[in-house]
Amino acid sequence: MTGVAPYILGRLLQSAVLLVFIVTIGFFVIRTAPGDPVLYLYGAQNISAETLAALRQVWGLDRPLAEQYWIYVTNVASGNLGYSQVNREPVSAILLRNVPNTLLLMAPSILLAAAGGVVLGTIACRRLNTPADYIIGAVSMVGYSMPPFWLAIVLIVIFASTLRWLPTQGMSTLGASYRGLAHVLDVANHMVLPVAVLTWWYLAAFARLTRASMIEESRKPYLLTARMKGLTETRVFYGHALRNASRPVLTMLGVYLGTMLAGAVMTEVVFAWPGMGRLTFSAIVQRDYPVVLAVFIVSGVAVVLTNLIIDVLYSLVDPRIRYA
Amino acid sequence: MHSVLADVWRVFRRQRAALAALLALLAIAVASPSVVILSQLDPEAISVDVLGRPSLAHAMGTDYLGRDILGRVLHGVNTSLLVGAAVAGLALTIGLVLGATAGFYRGAIDHVIMRVADGLMIVPTFFLVLTVAFIFSGRLAFVIVLLGVTMWPQIARIVRAEVLALKEEAFVLSARAVGAGDVRLMFRQILPNTLPPVVAMIALLASSGILAEASLSFLGVGDPNVVSLGQMLTSGLEYVTNAWWVPGFPGAAIFVLVILLNMLGDGLNVALNPRLRRGAS
Repeated sequence: MTGVAPYILGRLLQSAVLLVFIVTIGFFVIRTAPGDPVLYLYGAQNISAETLAALRQVWGLDRPLAEQYWIYVTNVASGNLGYSQVNREPVSAILLRNVPNTLLLMAPSILLAAAGGVVLGTIACRRLNTPADYIIGAVSMVGYSMPPFWLAIVLIVIFASTLRWLPTQGMSTLGASYRGLAHVLDVANHMVLPVAVLTWWYLAAFARLTRASMIEESRKPYLLTARMKGLTETRVFYGHALRNASRPVLTMLGVYLGTMLAGAVMTEVVFAWPGMGRLTFSAIVQRDYPVVLAVFIVSGVAVVLTNLIIDVLYSLVDPRIRYA
Repeated sequence: MHSVLADVWRVFRRQRAALAALLALLAIAVASPSVVILSQLDPEAISVDVLGRPSLAHAMGTDYLGRDILGRVLHGVNTSLLVGAAVAGLALTIGLVLGATAGFYRGAIDHVIMRVADGLMIVPTFFLVLTVAFIFSGRLAFVIVLLGVTMWPQIARIVRAEVLALKEEAFVLSARAVGAGDVRLMFRQILPNTLPPVVAMIALLASSGILAEASLSFLGVGDPNVVSLGQMLTSGLEYVTNAWWVPGFPGAAIFVLVILLNMLGDGLNVALNPRLRRGAS
């Protein structure tokens, strides 16, 4: 284990630096913004300068910047992301309401896409330069290049406006008070289109990566060794090549799971899905600075921590990494 | 260099999809600005023909103010092309300079540059750009700078790795032996040889730049003084069920630009990346 400990320690340190970097950027972006929080909340209203000054004192905006920075960092560290004056509630409460909805949308999409993408990528590599390969390549290219917000619009026009099969907005039917199974089915019905949009994009990404990674593996000499030992082509392909090609795929799966919170902004906006992305959009429209910043910090922290976990897991499994 | 170019062209030419994409992009890049300039299209000209279906007079229909959508799409395409070229150029320049510096001098400066690059590759930069543009300014030039400044790390990584390898090559060592200085070594001997793998990235940088700008203006953090495809999409969103052409065509334009650039990028990658070339030729 002596080889692993310094590596993990180094990665922990690196992640800590990144976390501080994210919070610091967040703080200074908001503090170098034109005006201060008091001004952008009450500047437009007819409020006397004395009242504004008093408010600044209450909120600690008259203290030195270094002290404010320290207060902000300790607040964020203890889970206090500030208070949304626009919505009149703590930012963390707003986030807690929205995060699960985003995960409900993203987790099934990414997992479905990873499974499907690996299958498609593998087929494409096994039948390299045949029609099957070209069709999979074309489907991935289209999925990979299609802006999610536009695919969403196309699906809405086809399945909702024209065929009237599926709902287009929100997470559940407005005004309906379904309970139990009926509620679950209602939400699932609302999930179909957004999940389809997200899945296609991720599917394309996974298929492309799997194919490229398999092609690279299949040129390596150990496959020749495996064939010389007399293994069947199927064993060589699935037992050796696919297994080694799965490493970059798993890394990408981890990275996407880490970016889940930030990944669905456009899709959520188009489908009015009440998650993190929709929250970001409405915070921008309402000029709700604390919420926009909190989304940046929370999604950044999620990415950094997921990356850390992936790297540590790999260093335990794969001896090549520690010494690289 | 001439034979290298000819060699690259020989492989690239056989990538039929990429070749078609290149020709289509060139056609769009010539036609769209020319039409806008020659016809003096006013993208803001309104008419009484509100939400009109696509017709002979208006090939893509009209929007909620009766503005001709085709004219606005052409303006938007020009904006997107500008964004793609500028973002790719900026990211490329920053990546080349920082990557070459890191690989050539090693030591502390290498460490600092590469850690910043790692950081930028991990932090969700779209959210960073979104937040900064939201708080400060959505002006097109500012958005382009923000995107360029966050998109260089991949280029820097590639350039650094190439420089590390090239530095020890015989032709560089012999140039150094006859007295060539650092700058001369860098620009005459090393950088030209790092270009092939980097050039393959340009199309992909441009396509992500275009998509990022479209997404920002879609979210309302764009330049209100510029016609942007993303902004046309958002403002047309509420008409999606009764006038699909209002958000439909701007979205299709983004899709076409992005897919052409991605196809071009794939072809360039095969032609310029020596590891892939062995399999292709």
